[in-house]
Amino acid sequence: MMTGAGGDAREPSGAGEGGSAGEGWVVTGLGAALGAARTAPAEAAGGGEGGARAALVEGAGADPSPWLKVKKSRKFMGLQDELAVAAAGRALASAGLGGVALGERAGLYLAVGYIPFEASDIDPVLRGSLDDEGRFSMPRFSGDGVHRAHPLLTFRCLPNMPAYHVSVNFDVQGPYIVSYPGPGQLYLALDEAEAALRRGDIDVALVLGVTHQRNFLVEHHFARLEPPVEPQLLRDAAACLVIEPASRAAARGAAVRVFPDGHSVAYEPGDSLLPLIESFSGGAAEPPGEAGPASLPLRLWLEVHAPPAAPSSATGPRARVGHQLRSRDGIRAESAWVIP
Amino acid sequence: MRKRVVVTGVGAVTPLGCSAPELVDGLMAGRSGVGPITLFDPAELPTRIAAEVKLALPELVARSASAGGSSAAASLSLRDRKIAFALEAARQALDDASRGGTRPGGEQGGLGASVSVGVGLELFSMDDLARLRAPGFLPDPHASPDERLAFLQTPSDLCARLISRRHGLLAPPLVLVSACAAGTDAIGAAYRLVAEGRRRWMLAGGTDSMINPLGVAGFCRLSATSTRNAEPARASRPFDRRRDGFVLGEGAAMLVLEALEDAHARGAVVLAEIAGYGCSFDAHGISEPHPEARGALQAMERALRDAGVVPGDIDAINAHGTSTPKNDPTETLAIKRLLGDRARSVPVVATKSMIGHLISAAGAVEAVASIGCMNAGVLHPTINLDEPDPLCDLDHVPHVARAHEQGLVLTCSYAFGGQNAALVLRNARLVPGGQA
Repeated sequence: MMTGAGGDAREPSGAGEGGSAGEGWVVTGLGAALGAARTAPAEAAGGGEGGARAALVEGAGADPSPWLKVKKSRKFMGLQDELAVAAAGRALASAGLGGVALGERAGLYLAVGYIPFEASDIDPVLRGSLDDEGRFSMPRFSGDGVHRAHPLLTFRCLPNMPAYHVSVNFDVQGPYIVSYPGPGQLYLALDEAEAALRRGDIDVALVLGVTHQRNFLVEHHFARLEPPVEPQLLRDAAACLVIEPASRAAARGAAVRVFPDGHSVAYEPGDSLLPLIESFSGGAAEPPGEAGPASLPLRLWLEVHAPPAAPSSATGPRARVGHQLRSRDGIRAESAWVIP
Repeated sequence: MRKRVVVTGVGAVTPLGCSAPELVDGLMAGRSGVGPITLFDPAELPTRIAAEVKLALPELVARSASAGGSSAAASLSLRDRKIAFALEAARQALDDASRGGTRPGGEQGGLGASVSVGVGLELFSMDDLARLRAPGFLPDPHASPDERLAFLQTPSDLCARLISRRHGLLAPPLVLVSACAAGTDAIGAAYRLVAEGRRRWMLAGGTDSMINPLGVAGFCRLSATSTRNAEPARASRPFDRRRDGFVLGEGAAMLVLEALEDAHARGAVVLAEIAGYGCSFDAHGISEPHPEARGALQAMERALRDAGVVPGDIDAINAHGTSTPKNDPTETLAIKRLLGDRARSVPVVATKSMIGHLISAAGAVEAVASIGCMNAGVLHPTINLDEPDPLCDLDHVPHVARAHEQGLVLTCSYAFGGQNAALVLRNARLVPGGQA
């Protein structure tokens, strides 16, 4: 059994434990969305697996249109917003909650990656802001450059905007966490979702990781690390878990997609950024590259919806999987899961 | 069993001074921290005023460095103001919490302790972008890792790592980016972690500085900021009929939160209790609040429910009070819906009238302000409220501070994007062993 982030000894989560406070929770829905433009399906599926995984990945595009209450709101959305809405929409459908206005008893526990800036957005601003010697000029910026920025640019890159778009399109009115920026923070968001369920604050939580990394600014960030991260290893991704108390899932006849078997989070603050170390003990194929805060739910989504191998037993759990990471910010996390 | 969570130390770096007492004194005096922008030449930007932290950055960095730490912390602080603010506010809060001679956590120090911080956007340098795009640009092969990490874009989570490192906080940090609600959310999340025994103690707060070319220009593009450039001190005017947008501020505040029993055990001075926290989504408009103030009301109601109190128990409210046309009437409506007949008799003050909007730090600084006022038995004023908007017809304590005993104070933050957060603060005098 593993323990939560504070090191407290907790009973493992799982189905069948009664009561509203302290009972186990289960995953009843998983969804993902991938930025397809720069990620070939076969590559994203985890080289060599092909087949079901490739098809699954290919079907997990970033188009949020099916879930938008107001179609024209898409003009306000950056890729991270689109990914978040698509992943949440698929996860809710998977949980049998598609089309349901979630309301006050639903919470959103979001971890979002670094702020994205496309070169095509910022370069026109720069061109209008340079003096004759090619240096940044505040007078030119204020008189010309700033007016070349897309008027909706701010909306499209703010880190709390994925939370907005998910809340408005699925009517999430409950509590939230919006954390940032690495895969370790997803575990902290999961901790808070679990705690809110345990307190009885909410009936259902969306635990969502999203990151838009294939852009000028985030690629710049990863290129300066030691060792540098090549852009082609970065993924644009969102993945979402719908979690709820086991009793509620049973009461509404929802299928349990994944049972949690404990997780732990620890921390070792360093002076410099560390190399990311991440492993997943489930499927035969590892999705390549870095998916930032989407990493854990993305891997679980692949395991559930496109398993790499036949069930090990006709009656027992289909798979036991584990996830371990040490993120660059010093967070060490691990989790274990059972796929029925 | 939920533990009672108390505040035993506060630190603040603000436009009214670089300590919590200076902040509170300035607020009580009704002094404005707003002036012309000096950190860069705003040239022809429509908004050319802001509430800057006046202390020179090297001085601030030197002060915070007295707590120890690496050269990395110092060099990154000199580059990114919000890192410097956060480190100094954290140092102050820990010093304040250690007045009795023992530090939070006792012999176990930072074991099981962590930081929860609301942070602003990553610092983006247009100067660096120009250098990067210049023909023949080559990265400096001799640049240190920190210099590389601060070139063009400085990740905002660095301040959590530097605070943790400097103060030996060994549990995972929470880095929150819920925009204008982030500071309040960070305190609320920390309160929950301590209350439920998931952390032993925490440093919680927020830090931000968007007074840079891209930050100010971004708000100008949204027509969100005041353009009352000729009268900086009169530009931030929450609830006034002639308000024309918010004034950008900068700064940080950090609070030490620990369980009441732990505070007693080490003889710490209790400054206040965090009695409750609530948050919600508007689930409505991207830049406008819900017309019936649904989300704001839900956040306040949840905070009260969490504290086990009713609206009739609240003695004062520190409002979000941004001085924008949309926020102030909606916030007024939320308070009326919450308090009912009592709405006009409960004072509602706006700290932002004096220090502007500190974005991700706002909620934390306003919590420190509320604690200072609560302990003094005085409400700071809402300045520049010359002609109240008829839609903002509550008691906003205009112009001059007022003696007012406060047992419970509600402090609220509402973010662009519909995230709402509220805290219930209880006066230390009502806490067993609290300060007299």
